[in-house]
Amino acid sequence: MAQAVVPSEGHHKYEIEPGFHGHHAPTNTGVSNPKLAIWLFLSSEALFFGAFIATYFLYRGRDSYFNEGPTPKELFNIPFTSVTSFVLLMSSLTMVLALAAIQRGDHRRLRIWLLATAFFGLVFVGGQVFEFTEFYREGLALNTNLFGTTFFTLTGLHGAHVTAGIVWLVTLWSRSVQGRLHDQHSEAIEIAGLYWHFVDIVWIIIFTAIYLIPQH
Amino acid sequence: MTDSTDVVESPGGELVPAGDGALATTSGAEVVPAAFRDDSHPGPVQYVFIAVVLCILTALEVGLYYLEGDVNNNLLIAMLWVLAFVKFFLVCSWYMHMKMDPPFFRRVFVVGICLASFVYGVVLFTFAATILADR
Repeated sequence: MAQAVVPSEGHHKYEIEPGFHGHHAPTNTGVSNPKLAIWLFLSSEALFFGAFIATYFLYRGRDSYFNEGPTPKELFNIPFTSVTSFVLLMSSLTMVLALAAIQRGDHRRLRIWLLATAFFGLVFVGGQVFEFTEFYREGLALNTNLFGTTFFTLTGLHGAHVTAGIVWLVTLWSRSVQGRLHDQHSEAIEIAGLYWHFVDIVWIIIFTAIYLIPQH
Repeated sequence: MTDSTDVVESPGGELVPAGDGALATTSGAEVVPAAFRDDSHPGPVQYVFIAVVLCILTALEVGLYYLEGDVNNNLLIAMLWVLAFVKFFLVCSWYMHMKMDPPFFRRVFVVGICLASFVYGVVLFTFAATILADR
């Protein structure tokens, strides 16, 4: 098991903290600073997405302007969205497989899984673009009704996060190809993975909240 | 605290582990290779197993969607939320390693989730009451 090095009572002594995982330089907190930073960021992102999900529920079925125009029931293609949701879920699997690969020192598989994750992310974003286009053709725009406003804002921001994740993954892949991503950089993959999984769990909530829960 | 490690002063004046980036213990054994390899995390087989469970849960969710009208709506909504939260929990615990990583990270994230739930819960109750009163 990996161990953290933490200061001990001796002036020039560090001790290995039992039960600590991962490799990082000694820190005051005893935990990795980059990992702490990403967890803090994700914590703030929970508040960010929470705002948009709450807004959606605030107006859903409670405001007379919510369903002025095409209704969610008429627009949603559940089989299609289920497939894109499944693809995003599988991208989380490929992401952890990429992490497992670099932790084993298998850089060839790392690159394969990173590319697979980015590809699945692209498929998801492509599906979202297709869905948005279809909805627009059927008469739902950002300003058509409150459903359009809340739906496009929430899912669009999520899509933007997925896109940022794809750029991040491709950057890591490119660093690996150039030989600039070594075994000791596994934490870089883990941090990108944490972001990617967060985007996935946000979609788990959005998929249930917007698509699956029966509309009034 | 199980083992102690010698440190040296870096050019920047910081205390860093002794050796060429390696953490040499007082016994002289290097711990770097083990540090790079995180054995605490699950292996590919466990990850695939979790993915299979997630797929089954997603299929159940979609199946439930088509039961609308046949099942009480409140029960349906409750079941959909339960499934979503189980998926959420599985991804957090296994893929985000909350189960294995230091509890400090978990606490940081849970504080954000709880804060968001509380703040937006209050917002929803407050504004929902206002909207209903205006109708």
